[in-house]
Amino acid sequence: MQKIYIHPLPVRIWHWINACGFIAMLITGVQIRYVGQIDLMAFRNAVILHNWVGFVLIGNFFIWFLYYLFSDKIKVYHPELNPVKHYRDSLRQLVYYGYGIFKGDPNPHHVSAYHKFNPMQSVSYQIIMLLLVPIQFFTGLLLWDIQRFSTMVELFGGVRVVDTVHVLIFIVFAGFIFIHPYLATLGHTPTAHIKAMFTGYEEIEDAARITGEGEPGNPFKGSNREPLDRSP
Amino acid sequence: MKYTKLIALLLFIVVGMPVLAADNTLSKEDETVSEEEETLSEAEFALLVAESALSKNDRKCLRCHDEEFIQYESGIHASVRRQGNTEAPVCTDCHTTHRVRGKLPYKSATGAPCSKCHDAIFEAYAVSVHSQIRVKDDEDDAHVLGCPDCHRSHDVTAAATENQLKESCLACHEGVLLAHEEWLPNAGLHFEAVSCPACHAPAAQRKVDLRLYDNAAKKRIREKEGVPQFESRARAVDLEGKGLSALALQSLLREFNRDGGEGNTSLRGRLEVSTGVGSHQLTDKGRAIRECEYCHQKGADPFQSVTISIARPDGRLLRYDAHTDVLSSAVSIDSVGGFYAIGATRIKLLDDLLILSVAGGISLPIGHTTVKWLVRRRRRRGEVQGGMEHSGDKPPSSPDDRSAAE
Repeated sequence: MQKIYIHPLPVRIWHWINACGFIAMLITGVQIRYVGQIDLMAFRNAVILHNWVGFVLIGNFFIWFLYYLFSDKIKVYHPELNPVKHYRDSLRQLVYYGYGIFKGDPNPHHVSAYHKFNPMQSVSYQIIMLLLVPIQFFTGLLLWDIQRFSTMVELFGGVRVVDTVHVLIFIVFAGFIFIHPYLATLGHTPTAHIKAMFTGYEEIEDAARITGEGEPGNPFKGSNREPLDRSP
Repeated sequence: MKYTKLIALLLFIVVGMPVLAADNTLSKEDETVSEEEETLSEAEFALLVAESALSKNDRKCLRCHDEEFIQYESGIHASVRRQGNTEAPVCTDCHTTHRVRGKLPYKSATGAPCSKCHDAIFEAYAVSVHSQIRVKDDEDDAHVLGCPDCHRSHDVTAAATENQLKESCLACHEGVLLAHEEWLPNAGLHFEAVSCPACHAPAAQRKVDLRLYDNAAKKRIREKEGVPQFESRARAVDLEGKGLSALALQSLLREFNRDGGEGNTSLRGRLEVSTGVGSHQLTDKGRAIRECEYCHQKGADPFQSVTISIARPDGRLLRYDAHTDVLSSAVSIDSVGGFYAIGATRIKLLDDLLILSVAGGISLPIGHTTVKWLVRRRRRRGEVQGGMEHSGDKPPSSPDDRSAAE
């Protein structure tokens, strides 16, 4: 069993603050939108909490953002620019989750420090972290003080438009919050990925299990991976 | 790597800068407000006299009282008189020729002379919190608060004229915005979108009025004198005659946008009391509505009646009924873009999408786990075989290998 360091400390701090914050935002958000049907806390308290946690999350986002901006680990977010390769790899990953995993096939993706996301994760997190999350913070900020930002709110077509965007992204996150932890249990053991998010180290199965259709000239048979980083 | 940083930085600039810039754009709106105080030229004054609503006899007053005359002519009473309403008051209905000390012709006990026409409103007012209050006038004489204190004496305007009545409230109740801010989130926004009586007259009936608003001029749209369009346009799109649906409202707005340039006309929503009588049933603040939940939930009472309105040339409102679902239809995202009360006017379609998303989010892991469990034997076999293939077709030899295979 090998261990490789894939989640640096700032990313882990950001992740867990973000996780707690997102759950708080979803709960207060549901309470705010569904007053009368859901009664977890008073509407006013839900609004106040939603605002505060929102600001904490915006600040927290910058831990993530600045870390990656000034670290070469930003490679993990690099998009695959060859569309054929991207779709082929994504499809292979999808086929693994939808079929191969049931046959006991090995995961076609192999984690390394600069390659921790599989092709599906990679594209999802580019969209989530660089598009959905910033838009959610931005619309949230506008809705926090509509009067202060009235010029901009009107520019986007009014408070209902801004709110609809905010709610649409909330709807995406409401589904994400169930699927994300589940996918996190699909490592080589159910807790492998989760432990890694606490310790930083991902346990890698025996090298013998590393498979994949090799690319020409790649001494490693894995198609989209670099040599394993040994844990320091 | 460089380009990812660049994209991220650009994104930050695009998203971040407008937020930082927003504060500066705010103050511009305030500057345009105080322009109206203008004095009339002689020619304009002569025209005002020629078109006056007053009889020849009443016009004698303006020889000395020209200031009051100008105020009167700008008001709603002169306006309805010009439209043929002979009940509307003229100078001598409040002042008599020989009563020299006729400064306060208003009788607080009976509401005369206003109550001659507005009796129902005076009855509601007479039992409200305001009717018991004594205030001092300009000459330091105390009097019981009455109609002219809010509605003025000579330039009485239509109740719906811009923010005039709200300003009357705020003229006496100084610092109430700060007091509201202590407990009410987004108090300033509530002041803009909710009329004072909507909360302070708890017994009254409430409704939503969506006002046609001119974005360029930053005020509500008034119909032009002699060119009534609103009602005929509204009737034309209201195919069933049961009030405007979300689609009908969208086409009505499109009609108005055709005159005023694309995107110039929008709807500004306001939560208010349904009737003039209701808006005078003010109680003391301890009994005002304070619960957020009163408005911010689906089916809340104030959102069960919706009207679309335009200001007539004299400032009074012309209203047309709309279905309540114009507030919750996905079609209205654009047309009713400027009005949204959290919870109460939420879009139904988004609720359905949320259910779909959560149901998907829950059922996917359950379904996947179930299939994994059903095929657990096959999976284990596959894992063992895979392990053997890739370790040179040797069976797993160490305990480590075996556990990995399991």
